[in-house]
Amino acid sequence: MGPDIAAALARLRRQRRPPEQQARTDGGLDEGSAKAPVSPVSKLWYSDAVQAIPFWLPPALLMGWFVYGAVGWNLLISLTDWSGLGQPEYTSLSLEMYRELPGDRSFRAAFRNTVILLVAFTGVSLAIGLVLAILVDRDIRFENTFRTIYLLPMALSFVVTAIFWSWMYNPTTGTINVVLRGIGLDVLASDWIGNPRTRLWAIIFALTWQFSGYAMVVYLAGLRAIPDEHYEAAKVDGASTLRMYWRVIIPQLSAATVSAVVVLMVFALKAFDFIFVMFGDNPGRSADILAVMMFRVAFSRAQWAYGAAVATVLFVMALAIVAPYLYVQYRRGAL
Amino acid sequence: MARVTLEHITKRYEDVTAVDDMNVEIRDGEFVCLVGPSGCGKSTTMEIVAGLTTPTEGTVFIGDADVTKLPPKDRGVAMVFQNIALFPHMNVWENISFGLRLRKFDTDEIDRRVEHAADIVQLEGMLERMPDEMSGGQRQRVAIARAIVRNPDVFLMDEPLANLDAKLRVHMRTELQRLHKELDTTIIYVTHDQAEAMTMSDRIAVINAGRLQQIDPPLICYNEPANLFVAGFIGSPSMNFVEGDLTRDGLETPNFSVEFDPSQVPNATVGDRLTLGIRPEDVFLEHRAGNLETTTDPIDAVTDVLEPMGDEIFVYLLLDESAERSMEDALATPNQLLMSVSPDTEIHEDERTNVVLDRSKVHLFDTDTGEALVHGIDDLPGPTAGADTGAGTAGTETRATGSGTDTER
Repeated sequence: MGPDIAAALARLRRQRRPPEQQARTDGGLDEGSAKAPVSPVSKLWYSDAVQAIPFWLPPALLMGWFVYGAVGWNLLISLTDWSGLGQPEYTSLSLEMYRELPGDRSFRAAFRNTVILLVAFTGVSLAIGLVLAILVDRDIRFENTFRTIYLLPMALSFVVTAIFWSWMYNPTTGTINVVLRGIGLDVLASDWIGNPRTRLWAIIFALTWQFSGYAMVVYLAGLRAIPDEHYEAAKVDGASTLRMYWRVIIPQLSAATVSAVVVLMVFALKAFDFIFVMFGDNPGRSADILAVMMFRVAFSRAQWAYGAAVATVLFVMALAIVAPYLYVQYRRGAL
Repeated sequence: MARVTLEHITKRYEDVTAVDDMNVEIRDGEFVCLVGPSGCGKSTTMEIVAGLTTPTEGTVFIGDADVTKLPPKDRGVAMVFQNIALFPHMNVWENISFGLRLRKFDTDEIDRRVEHAADIVQLEGMLERMPDEMSGGQRQRVAIARAIVRNPDVFLMDEPLANLDAKLRVHMRTELQRLHKELDTTIIYVTHDQAEAMTMSDRIAVINAGRLQQIDPPLICYNEPANLFVAGFIGSPSMNFVEGDLTRDGLETPNFSVEFDPSQVPNATVGDRLTLGIRPEDVFLEHRAGNLETTTDPIDAVTDVLEPMGDEIFVYLLLDESAERSMEDALATPNQLLMSVSPDTEIHEDERTNVVLDRSKVHLFDTDTGEALVHGIDDLPGPTAGADTGAGTAGTETRATGSGTDTER
């Protein structure tokens, strides 16, 4: 079986090579020794890209149509003034919807909340994840158990955690307030998700709880890649534990940080489900984010073009987060 | 510069004893290799000196100070690691100066010291480079410079050359010896490579199973190994061992006997089980052994496999042809003997031949305890002169130089 396949493959490859580059009898390639000029058409025809068409074209078409086509269509809709029932008017395109955005107080609030969520959620998750990873990495007992416990929340769906946290935050029967009152801190008990001043932070807290475990796993992988000798070398050189981590270990985690940041930020942009389950399509100006606003504007108010414009802003934000990462990866040759 | 003394150092993990009652005194300015097979406790011993591991029992002195409880940074030691352990996010200058910057030296002093250290290990002009832009050998030099720059009392090197390729390793060996001469600092060097230990150190500490077996200059370890372990570990290829019984006439092994007066062997009585040790280069073809002072009786053998090395040929000899040939553990079976001969020797595989052992290089060990009893049996008189009958007598006679041993008999 094996030799047959190998022989067939060899035959195939020989056929696919341009005629002027056939194998020589000694096993080398007969390149250039035959002086026949290579025509551009033939060069193109035998290039890897063309020869590999059967493999890359079908998935590229599917992706192109359903993903990038949809993105493009969304962009097109955002340039119309489509709303309510009826069909979009593609004849008069303008940036009217985008011009309206800055003046819209609800957009401004949603944009601000999205940025706060993005920064605070990512920053706190990273910090907690890093501390957990360092603790778990120090050869503690039941390390695997702790790792699983910390990672478990991430396995839960946003719907589950949103319902679960809305119970926790319940002002009268919720665990948080019950515990606070139980230990005599009644003053601190409050209507966490009812009060507009604490609402966004309650969401960030819950999301951090869910995603710190992920940051921990990424950091743990990074820490495991650092040889023990780096710790020992730093110690022999005279570094205290704090300085050893600060100057030797954490700087080596930059790659882990970058990939965790990208994933966490993208999750933050997509926090739609969590907020939608907790508050429905209108969480109020204090906790509104672009994703929820987009849904509300488009599907509840049928302002299709305006919703599409919000979606485009969201898309650009996601691109702004991912693109630098991809570029750096590309420069490193990792793509 | 300082001397390092380990007193009754023991390190126990839950159910393993990594280091067992280690007593070593390393003199000021000495280059000592801790050598032994993997897992013998040599690295743990070094970590204890460095302060990276706390001993369960015992005391560590550096100079006259008891440092057992001091953290690594206060011990005046610098360490070079096996996988080099440069910090990848710092350039060469930052790596070398790391310890000094932590100790808040002033900038001029740091610059001066870094330049001096880089000068010693020949890294001039590379201070701006990142570790991943350097070759293995250059990186190892940076690691050494990082140790030098702190002017430590003691250098600790944990297999620093193990990750380099063979050629570079040999080169760096010489460099390290030169460095030792230049700095004149105490160096403790861990390696599992006995050749590295032999070539570089003033004294070798052979460690096995957490216990110190012998600490002596390289050639003493080679010529007068304290026990079976040292004898087998030092030297490549390893020493031949043949077990036998001590009789009134000498040692009786399954395939040959060696004659001497058993009463001259300390700590052994007739009937004891002894192990004879002989290095491959001390086994000779009978007709080539002419210029040896004393040899044993000729031993019948058949050549099995030849390994030409260029400067010598290793010959595997079968002493009992009828016994099964075993390739694995060839040196441990009493039926085989490894001989090293000069490359111009006429010798072929599967050839019947006679070999002799150089009596001055025969070692006798107590099989049960492994302790060495005698190194060289040339000055042990034969059993009782005149009482000999039959063939095996020539062994005790002093042979004339030149060939023709047959005619003498």
